[in-house]
Amino acid sequence: MTVILYTLAVSASLALILGFLLGFFKKIFFVETDPTVAKIRESLPGANCGGCGYPGCDGFAQAVAAGEAPATGCTAGGRETAEKVCAVMGVAGNIVETVAVLACQGSKDHAVPKGFYSGVQTCRAAKLSTNSIKMCAWACQGLGDCVAVCRFDALHMGDDGLPHVDEEKCTGCGMCITECPQNLLVHFNKTDKGAFARCNNRNPNKPQILKGCKVGCIKCGKCEKACQVDAIHLVNGIPVVDYEKCNSCGDCVAACPTNVLYLR
Amino acid sequence: MNEYVKIFLSSMLIDNVVFIQFLALCPFIGMTTDVQKANGMGVATSFVMVLATAVTYPLYNFILLPLGLEFLQTLTFILVIASLVQLVEFYLKKSAPALYSSMGVYLALITTNCAILAVTLNCISKSYSFTESIVYSLGSAAGFIIAMVLMAGIRDRIRLAKIPAFVKGTPVLFVAAGLLSMAFAGFSGLIK
Repeated sequence: MTVILYTLAVSASLALILGFLLGFFKKIFFVETDPTVAKIRESLPGANCGGCGYPGCDGFAQAVAAGEAPATGCTAGGRETAEKVCAVMGVAGNIVETVAVLACQGSKDHAVPKGFYSGVQTCRAAKLSTNSIKMCAWACQGLGDCVAVCRFDALHMGDDGLPHVDEEKCTGCGMCITECPQNLLVHFNKTDKGAFARCNNRNPNKPQILKGCKVGCIKCGKCEKACQVDAIHLVNGIPVVDYEKCNSCGDCVAACPTNVLYLR
Repeated sequence: MNEYVKIFLSSMLIDNVVFIQFLALCPFIGMTTDVQKANGMGVATSFVMVLATAVTYPLYNFILLPLGLEFLQTLTFILVIASLVQLVEFYLKKSAPALYSSMGVYLALITTNCAILAVTLNCISKSYSFTESIVYSLGSAAGFIIAMVLMAGIRDRIRLAKIPAFVKGTPVLFVAAGLLSMAFAGFSGLIK
Protein backbone atom coordinates (compact mmCIF):
# COMPACT_ATOMS: atom_id res chain seq x y z
CA MET A 1 0.00 0.00 0.00
CA THR A 2 2.74 2.44 0.91
CA VAL A 3 4.43 1.70 -2.43
CA ILE A 4 1.35 2.78 -4.32
CA LEU A 5 1.10 5.94 -2.24
CA TYR A 6 4.78 6.72 -2.78
CA THR A 7 4.41 6.11 -6.51
CA LEU A 8 1.47 8.45 -6.69
CA ALA A 9 3.19 11.09 -4.57
CA VAL A 10 6.48 10.98 -6.48
CA SER A 11 5.01 11.03 -9.97
CA ALA A 12 2.40 13.65 -9.11
CA SER A 13 4.88 15.97 -7.42
CA LEU A 14 7.42 15.49 -10.22
CA ALA A 15 4.82 16.30 -12.86
CA LEU A 16 3.67 19.34 -10.86
CA ILE A 17 7.19 20.67 -10.29
CA LEU A 18 8.13 20.20 -13.95
CA GLY A 19 4.86 21.77 -15.09
CA PHE A 20 5.40 24.83 -12.92
CA LEU A 21 9.03 25.08 -13.99
CA LEU A 22 8.06 24.99 -17.66
CA GLY A 23 5.35 27.61 -17.22
CA PHE A 24 7.71 29.79 -15.21
CA PHE A 25 10.55 29.54 -17.71
CA LYS A 26 8.22 30.22 -20.61
CA LYS A 27 7.36 33.55 -18.94
CA ILE A 28 11.02 34.39 -18.26
CA PHE A 29 12.25 33.45 -21.71
CA PHE A 30 9.30 34.88 -23.58
CA VAL A 31 10.30 36.20 -26.97
CA GLU A 32 8.20 38.85 -28.62
CA THR A 33 7.49 38.00 -32.21
CA ASP A 34 6.08 40.23 -34.91
CA PRO A 35 2.46 39.15 -35.49
CA THR A 36 2.67 40.15 -39.14
CA VAL A 37 5.36 37.49 -39.68
CA ALA A 38 2.96 34.79 -38.56
CA LYS A 39 0.18 36.25 -40.73
CA ILE A 40 2.40 36.37 -43.82
CA ARG A 41 3.67 32.86 -43.10
CA GLU A 42 0.07 31.59 -43.00
CA SER A 43 -0.69 32.88 -46.48
CA LEU A 44 2.44 31.34 -48.03
CA PRO A 45 2.25 27.91 -49.70
CA GLY A 46 4.78 26.37 -47.28
CA ALA A 47 6.69 24.38 -49.87
CA ASN A 48 10.03 25.89 -48.75
CA CYS A 49 11.13 25.85 -52.39
CA GLY A 50 13.55 28.74 -52.06
CA GLY A 51 12.38 30.32 -55.30
CA CYS A 52 12.21 33.71 -53.59
CA GLY A 53 15.89 33.60 -52.67
CA TYR A 54 15.30 33.24 -48.91
CA PRO A 55 15.82 30.10 -46.81
CA GLY A 56 12.30 28.72 -46.85
CA CYS A 57 8.92 30.31 -46.28
CA ASP A 58 9.80 31.40 -42.72
CA GLY A 59 12.81 33.34 -43.94
CA PHE A 60 10.75 35.00 -46.65
CA ALA A 61 7.98 35.95 -44.20
CA GLN A 62 10.52 37.61 -41.91
CA ALA A 63 12.14 39.45 -44.80
CA VAL A 64 8.78 40.76 -46.02
CA ALA A 65 7.81 41.91 -42.54
CA ALA A 66 11.17 43.67 -42.21
CA GLY A 67 10.60 45.37 -45.55
CA GLU A 68 13.59 43.68 -47.19
CA ALA A 69 11.66 41.53 -49.65
CA PRO A 70 8.82 42.62 -51.92
CA ALA A 71 5.34 41.44 -50.92
CA THR A 72 4.98 39.85 -54.35
CA GLY A 73 8.28 37.94 -54.01
CA CYS A 74 6.67 34.51 -53.68
CA THR A 75 6.53 33.35 -57.29
CA ALA A 76 5.48 29.83 -56.33
CA GLY A 77 2.25 30.95 -54.67
CA GLY A 78 1.08 32.90 -57.70
CA ARG A 79 -1.51 35.64 -57.70
CA GLU A 80 -3.56 34.35 -54.77
CA THR A 81 -0.62 34.30 -52.35
CA ALA A 82 0.68 37.66 -53.54
CA GLU A 83 -2.72 39.26 -52.97
CA LYS A 84 -2.94 37.82 -49.47
CA VAL A 85 0.57 39.00 -48.53
CA CYS A 86 -0.13 42.42 -50.03
CA ALA A 87 -3.32 42.63 -47.96
CA VAL A 88 -1.37 41.83 -44.77
CA MET A 89 1.33 44.38 -45.57
CA GLY A 90 -1.19 46.95 -46.81
CA VAL A 91 0.54 47.55 -50.12
CA ALA A 92 -0.62 47.27 -53.71
CA GLY A 93 1.13 44.59 -55.71
CA ASN A 94 1.24 43.62 -59.34
CA ILE A 95 2.40 40.05 -59.91
CA VAL A 96 3.14 38.33 -63.20
CA GLU A 97 2.50 34.61 -63.12
CA THR A 98 5.00 32.55 -65.05
CA VAL A 99 5.67 28.94 -65.96
CA ALA A 100 8.94 27.26 -66.90
CA VAL A 101 9.31 26.37 -70.59
CA LEU A 102 12.02 24.20 -72.13
CA ALA A 103 13.84 25.86 -75.04
CA CYS A 104 15.18 22.66 -76.62
CA GLN A 105 13.84 19.89 -78.83
CA GLY A 106 16.93 17.68 -78.57
CA SER A 107 15.05 14.46 -77.84
CA LYS A 108 16.43 10.99 -78.49
CA ASP A 109 15.06 11.04 -82.06
CA HIS A 110 16.32 14.52 -82.92
CA ALA A 111 19.67 15.11 -81.26
CA VAL A 112 22.67 12.89 -82.00
CA PRO A 113 24.65 11.73 -78.94
CA LYS A 114 28.42 12.19 -78.89
CA GLY A 115 28.94 8.70 -77.57
CA PHE A 116 27.83 6.49 -74.71
CA TYR A 117 27.89 8.40 -71.41
CA SER A 118 28.20 6.22 -68.33
CA GLY A 119 29.45 8.74 -65.78
CA VAL A 120 27.64 10.30 -62.84
CA GLN A 121 23.99 10.53 -63.87
CA THR A 122 23.36 14.24 -63.36
CA CYS A 123 23.21 16.96 -66.01
CA ARG A 124 25.74 19.08 -64.13
CA ALA A 125 28.32 16.30 -63.97
CA ALA A 126 27.74 15.45 -67.64
CA LYS A 127 28.16 19.09 -68.62
CA LEU A 128 31.34 19.45 -66.54
CA SER A 129 33.02 16.31 -67.81
CA THR A 130 31.98 16.23 -71.48
CA ASN A 131 30.72 19.79 -72.14
CA SER A 132 27.66 18.08 -73.63
CA ILE A 133 26.78 14.43 -74.07
CA LYS A 134 25.10 15.30 -77.37
CA MET A 135 26.70 16.67 -80.53
CA CYS A 136 24.99 20.00 -79.87
CA ALA A 137 26.84 21.77 -77.04
CA TRP A 138 23.67 23.65 -76.07
CA ALA A 139 21.36 20.62 -75.95
CA CYS A 140 19.33 19.34 -73.02
CA GLN A 141 21.39 16.66 -71.29
CA GLY A 142 18.25 14.77 -70.40
CA LEU A 143 19.48 13.44 -67.03
CA GLY A 144 16.77 15.19 -65.04
CA ASP A 145 18.46 17.68 -62.68
CA CYS A 146 15.39 19.89 -63.17
CA VAL A 147 13.01 17.01 -62.39
CA ALA A 148 14.88 16.21 -59.17
CA VAL A 149 14.78 19.80 -57.94
CA CYS A 150 11.05 20.42 -58.61
CA ARG A 151 9.02 20.60 -55.39
CA PHE A 152 5.65 20.75 -57.10
CA ASP A 153 5.72 17.51 -59.15
CA ALA A 154 5.43 19.66 -62.27
CA LEU A 155 8.39 18.26 -64.21
CA HIS A 156 8.59 14.73 -65.56
CA MET A 157 11.08 12.99 -67.78
CA GLY A 158 9.31 11.93 -70.98
CA ASP A 159 10.03 8.83 -73.05
CA ASP A 160 11.72 11.09 -75.60
CA GLY A 161 14.48 11.95 -73.09
CA LEU A 162 13.34 15.50 -72.46
CA PRO A 163 11.72 16.95 -69.33
CA HIS A 164 8.06 17.90 -69.80
CA VAL A 165 6.52 20.75 -67.80
CA ASP A 166 3.04 20.21 -66.43
CA GLU A 167 1.85 23.79 -66.76
CA GLU A 168 -1.15 23.19 -64.51
CA LYS A 169 1.18 22.32 -61.62
CA CYS A 170 4.12 24.61 -62.47
CA THR A 171 4.22 27.60 -60.15
CA GLY A 172 7.07 29.45 -61.83
CA CYS A 173 9.24 29.26 -58.70
CA GLY A 174 12.33 29.10 -60.91
CA MET A 175 14.22 26.31 -59.10
CA CYS A 176 14.62 24.27 -62.31
CA ILE A 177 15.66 27.40 -64.19
CA THR A 178 18.60 28.01 -61.88
CA GLU A 179 19.43 24.29 -61.71
CA CYS A 180 19.74 23.67 -65.49
CA PRO A 181 23.45 23.83 -66.43
CA GLN A 182 22.50 24.66 -70.03
CA ASN A 183 20.08 27.47 -69.08
CA LEU A 184 17.45 25.85 -71.28
CA LEU A 185 14.46 26.47 -69.04
CA VAL A 186 13.05 29.99 -69.14
CA HIS A 187 10.27 31.90 -67.42
CA PHE A 188 7.25 32.37 -69.68
CA ASN A 189 4.50 34.79 -68.68
CA LYS A 190 1.15 33.04 -68.46
CA THR A 191 -0.57 36.03 -70.03
CA ASP A 192 1.73 36.12 -73.09
CA LYS A 193 0.64 34.47 -76.30
CA GLY A 194 2.61 33.98 -79.47
CA ALA A 195 5.50 32.16 -81.10
CA PHE A 196 8.29 30.60 -79.04
CA ALA A 197 11.65 29.26 -80.25
CA ARG A 198 12.57 25.83 -78.85
CA CYS A 199 16.30 26.06 -79.46
CA ASN A 200 19.25 27.64 -77.70
CA ASN A 201 22.01 26.81 -80.19
CA ARG A 202 24.37 29.78 -80.66
CA ASN A 203 26.54 28.09 -83.30
CA PRO A 204 26.50 30.11 -86.57
CA ASN A 205 27.70 27.12 -88.64
CA LYS A 206 24.64 25.59 -90.35
CA PRO A 207 26.10 22.18 -91.40
CA GLN A 208 27.44 21.66 -87.88
CA ILE A 209 24.05 22.42 -86.36
CA LEU A 210 22.21 20.01 -88.66
CA LYS A 211 24.80 17.28 -88.03
CA GLY A 212 24.00 17.40 -84.33
CA CYS A 213 20.27 18.07 -84.39
CA LYS A 214 17.60 17.90 -87.07
CA VAL A 215 15.44 20.53 -85.43
CA GLY A 216 18.02 23.17 -84.46
CA CYS A 217 17.78 26.82 -85.40
CA ILE A 218 19.99 27.40 -88.47
CA LYS A 219 19.90 31.24 -88.23
CA CYS A 220 18.31 31.59 -91.68
CA GLY A 221 16.22 34.58 -90.62
CA LYS A 222 13.13 33.42 -92.52
CA CYS A 223 10.97 34.03 -89.45
CA GLU A 224 12.13 37.63 -89.30
CA LYS A 225 11.16 38.18 -92.94
CA ALA A 226 7.85 36.35 -92.60
CA CYS A 227 6.68 38.44 -89.65
CA GLN A 228 4.30 41.19 -90.74
CA VAL A 229 4.19 43.02 -87.40
CA ASP A 230 7.97 43.17 -86.78
CA ALA A 231 7.64 41.09 -83.60
CA ILE A 232 10.40 38.51 -84.11
CA HIS A 233 14.15 39.19 -84.30
CA LEU A 234 17.29 37.11 -84.15
CA VAL A 235 19.16 38.01 -80.95
CA ASN A 236 22.56 36.30 -80.66
CA GLY A 237 21.38 33.79 -83.26
CA ILE A 238 18.09 32.83 -81.62
CA PRO A 239 14.65 34.17 -82.59
CA VAL A 240 13.25 36.30 -79.77
CA VAL A 241 9.60 37.29 -79.85
CA ASP A 242 8.18 40.58 -78.63
CA TYR A 243 4.85 39.46 -77.15
CA GLU A 244 3.49 43.02 -77.10
CA LYS A 245 3.52 42.97 -80.90
CA CYS A 246 3.00 39.27 -81.72
CA ASN A 247 -0.54 38.49 -82.88
CA SER A 248 -0.15 34.68 -83.09
CA CYS A 249 -0.68 34.66 -86.86
CA GLY A 250 1.64 31.69 -87.32
CA ASP A 251 3.52 33.03 -90.36
CA CYS A 252 6.94 32.51 -88.73
CA VAL A 253 6.01 28.98 -87.65
CA ALA A 254 5.09 28.14 -91.23
CA ALA A 255 8.25 29.76 -92.57
CA CYS A 256 10.70 27.95 -90.23
CA PRO A 257 12.49 25.21 -92.25
CA THR A 258 13.57 23.22 -89.17
CA ASN A 259 10.37 23.50 -87.14
CA VAL A 260 11.95 25.39 -84.24
CA LEU A 261 9.07 27.77 -83.59
CA TYR A 262 5.66 26.91 -82.27
CA LEU A 263 2.63 28.89 -81.12
CA ARG A 264 1.63 28.87 -77.48
CA MET B 1 41.76 8.31 -14.59
CA ASN B 2 42.48 5.12 -16.49
CA GLU B 3 39.00 3.88 -15.63
CA TYR B 4 37.39 6.97 -17.16
CA VAL B 5 39.33 6.61 -20.41
CA LYS B 6 38.20 3.00 -20.55
CA ILE B 7 34.54 3.93 -20.07
CA PHE B 8 34.77 6.74 -22.61
CA LEU B 9 36.41 4.61 -25.30
CA SER B 10 34.16 1.62 -24.76
CA SER B 11 30.98 3.69 -24.91
CA MET B 12 32.19 5.56 -27.98
CA LEU B 13 33.57 2.70 -30.09
CA ILE B 14 32.94 -0.73 -28.60
CA ASP B 15 29.36 -0.13 -27.48
CA ASN B 16 28.54 2.49 -30.10
CA VAL B 17 24.89 3.52 -29.61
CA VAL B 18 24.02 3.27 -33.27
CA PHE B 19 26.20 0.52 -34.71
CA ILE B 20 26.37 -1.94 -31.84
CA GLN B 21 23.29 -1.18 -29.72
CA PHE B 22 21.11 -0.29 -32.77
CA LEU B 23 19.49 2.67 -31.03
CA ALA B 24 18.41 6.01 -32.49
CA LEU B 25 18.06 4.61 -35.99
CA CYS B 26 15.41 7.20 -36.91
CA PRO B 27 17.67 10.26 -36.72
CA PHE B 28 20.46 8.07 -38.12
CA ILE B 29 18.47 7.49 -41.32
CA GLY B 30 16.34 10.61 -41.33
CA MET B 31 18.80 13.37 -40.49
CA THR B 32 21.90 12.30 -42.39
CA THR B 33 21.01 13.78 -45.78
CA ASP B 34 24.00 16.12 -45.54
CA VAL B 35 27.01 16.41 -43.27
CA GLN B 36 26.04 19.77 -41.79
CA LYS B 37 22.56 18.58 -40.81
CA ALA B 38 23.99 15.38 -39.33
CA ASN B 39 26.49 17.39 -37.33
CA GLY B 40 23.77 19.71 -36.00
CA MET B 41 21.61 16.80 -34.94
CA GLY B 42 24.62 15.02 -33.40
CA VAL B 43 25.71 18.03 -31.35
CA ALA B 44 22.15 18.79 -30.17
CA THR B 45 21.59 15.17 -29.16
CA SER B 46 24.91 14.98 -27.31
CA PHE B 47 24.09 18.13 -25.42
CA VAL B 48 20.75 16.74 -24.26
CA MET B 49 22.30 13.32 -23.56
CA VAL B 50 24.86 14.68 -21.10
CA LEU B 51 22.34 17.04 -19.49
CA ALA B 52 19.77 14.26 -19.11
CA THR B 53 22.29 11.97 -17.46
CA ALA B 54 23.31 14.74 -15.05
CA VAL B 55 19.68 15.22 -14.00
CA THR B 56 18.35 11.66 -13.98
CA TYR B 57 21.27 10.19 -12.01
CA PRO B 58 20.56 12.14 -8.79
CA LEU B 59 16.82 11.73 -9.33
CA TYR B 60 17.21 7.96 -9.32
CA ASN B 61 19.78 7.67 -6.55
CA PHE B 62 18.38 10.23 -4.12
CA ILE B 63 14.62 9.94 -4.68
CA LEU B 64 13.58 6.71 -6.39
CA LEU B 65 16.11 4.36 -4.79
CA PRO B 66 15.55 5.32 -1.10
CA LEU B 67 11.75 5.06 -1.59
CA GLY B 68 12.06 1.68 -3.33
CA LEU B 69 10.51 2.97 -6.53
CA GLU B 70 13.07 1.61 -9.04
CA PHE B 71 10.27 0.47 -11.33
CA LEU B 72 9.30 4.11 -11.92
CA GLN B 73 12.58 4.92 -13.65
CA THR B 74 11.35 4.72 -17.26
CA LEU B 75 8.32 6.90 -16.57
CA THR B 76 10.15 9.59 -14.60
CA PHE B 77 13.16 9.64 -16.94
CA ILE B 78 10.97 10.21 -20.00
CA LEU B 79 9.14 12.97 -18.14
CA VAL B 80 12.35 14.64 -17.05
CA ILE B 81 14.03 14.38 -20.46
CA ALA B 82 11.00 15.79 -22.27
CA SER B 83 10.68 18.80 -19.99
CA LEU B 84 14.43 19.32 -19.99
CA VAL B 85 14.43 19.56 -23.76
CA GLN B 86 11.59 22.07 -23.56
CA LEU B 87 13.52 24.17 -21.04
CA VAL B 88 16.62 24.16 -23.19
CA GLU B 89 14.50 25.17 -26.16
CA PHE B 90 13.03 28.17 -24.30
CA TYR B 91 16.44 29.22 -23.11
CA LEU B 92 18.04 28.98 -26.56
CA LYS B 93 15.16 30.84 -28.20
CA LYS B 94 15.74 33.79 -25.89
CA SER B 95 19.48 33.91 -25.44
CA ALA B 96 20.89 32.42 -28.65
CA PRO B 97 18.41 32.83 -31.53
CA ALA B 98 21.05 31.93 -34.13
CA LEU B 99 21.85 28.65 -32.37
CA TYR B 100 18.13 28.04 -31.88
CA SER B 101 17.30 28.40 -35.56
CA SER B 102 20.05 25.94 -36.46
CA MET B 103 19.43 23.48 -33.62
CA GLY B 104 15.80 24.23 -32.67
CA VAL B 105 14.15 21.95 -35.17
CA TYR B 106 16.20 19.00 -33.98
CA LEU B 107 15.57 19.63 -30.29
CA ALA B 108 11.89 18.70 -30.52
CA LEU B 109 12.86 15.47 -32.26
CA ILE B 110 15.32 14.62 -29.50
CA THR B 111 12.59 14.62 -26.84
CA THR B 112 11.71 11.00 -27.46
CA ASN B 113 15.05 9.85 -28.84
CA CYS B 114 15.62 6.31 -27.59
CA ALA B 115 19.41 6.72 -27.40
CA ILE B 116 19.07 9.30 -24.65
CA LEU B 117 16.74 7.17 -22.55
CA ALA B 118 19.01 4.17 -23.14
CA VAL B 119 22.10 6.04 -21.96
CA THR B 120 20.39 7.23 -18.78
CA LEU B 121 19.07 3.73 -18.06
CA ASN B 122 22.42 2.11 -18.85
CA CYS B 123 24.18 4.34 -16.32
CA ILE B 124 21.81 3.02 -13.66
CA SER B 125 22.00 -0.63 -14.67
CA LYS B 126 25.81 -0.54 -14.85
CA SER B 127 25.80 1.04 -11.32
CA TYR B 128 28.23 3.81 -12.29
CA SER B 129 29.14 6.69 -10.00
CA PHE B 130 28.08 10.20 -10.99
CA THR B 131 31.37 11.09 -12.74
CA GLU B 132 31.46 7.72 -14.46
CA SER B 133 27.89 8.31 -15.71
CA ILE B 134 28.85 11.68 -17.16
CA VAL B 135 31.91 10.19 -18.87
CA TYR B 136 29.76 7.34 -20.20
CA SER B 137 27.19 9.76 -21.65
CA LEU B 138 29.97 11.91 -23.15
CA GLY B 139 31.42 8.83 -24.82
CA SER B 140 28.03 7.71 -26.13
CA ALA B 141 27.42 11.22 -27.46
CA ALA B 142 30.77 11.21 -29.25
CA GLY B 143 29.91 7.79 -30.70
CA PHE B 144 26.56 9.13 -31.92
CA ILE B 145 28.19 12.12 -33.65
CA ILE B 146 30.73 9.79 -35.29
CA ALA B 147 27.93 7.54 -36.54
CA MET B 148 25.90 10.46 -37.91
CA VAL B 149 28.81 12.11 -39.71
CA LEU B 150 30.07 8.78 -41.11
CA MET B 151 26.63 8.01 -42.49
CA ALA B 152 26.25 11.49 -43.98
CA GLY B 153 29.60 11.05 -45.75
CA ILE B 154 28.55 7.67 -47.10
CA ARG B 155 25.26 9.11 -48.32
CA ASP B 156 27.18 11.74 -50.28
CA ARG B 157 28.83 8.87 -52.16
CA ILE B 158 25.63 6.85 -52.48
CA ARG B 159 23.92 9.79 -54.15
CA LEU B 160 26.36 9.62 -57.07
CA ALA B 161 26.56 5.84 -57.31
CA LYS B 162 24.55 3.61 -59.59
CA ILE B 163 22.27 1.58 -57.33
CA PRO B 164 20.03 -1.32 -58.42
CA ALA B 165 16.38 -0.28 -58.42
CA PHE B 166 15.30 -2.82 -55.80
CA VAL B 167 17.51 -1.36 -53.04
CA LYS B 168 17.24 2.29 -54.05
CA GLY B 169 16.44 4.71 -51.23
CA THR B 170 16.31 3.53 -47.62
CA PRO B 171 17.25 -0.17 -48.18
CA VAL B 172 20.72 0.66 -49.45
CA LEU B 173 21.24 2.87 -46.38
CA PHE B 174 20.53 -0.05 -44.10
CA VAL B 175 22.93 -2.23 -46.09
CA ALA B 176 25.61 0.44 -45.67
CA ALA B 177 24.76 0.74 -41.97
CA GLY B 178 25.12 -3.03 -41.60
CA LEU B 179 28.57 -3.01 -43.19
CA LEU B 180 29.61 -0.08 -40.97
CA SER B 181 28.35 -1.91 -37.93
CA MET B 182 30.44 -4.95 -38.89
CA ALA B 183 33.46 -2.66 -39.07
CA PHE B 184 32.64 -1.33 -35.61
CA ALA B 185 32.36 -4.88 -34.28
CA GLY B 186 36.12 -5.05 -34.94
CA PHE B 187 36.68 -2.67 -32.02
CA SER B 188 35.39 -5.25 -29.54
CA GLY B 189 38.91 -6.47 -28.68
CA LEU B 190 40.22 -2.95 -28.03
CA ILE B 191 39.80 -3.07 -24.24
CA LYS B 192 40.03 -6.26 -22.23
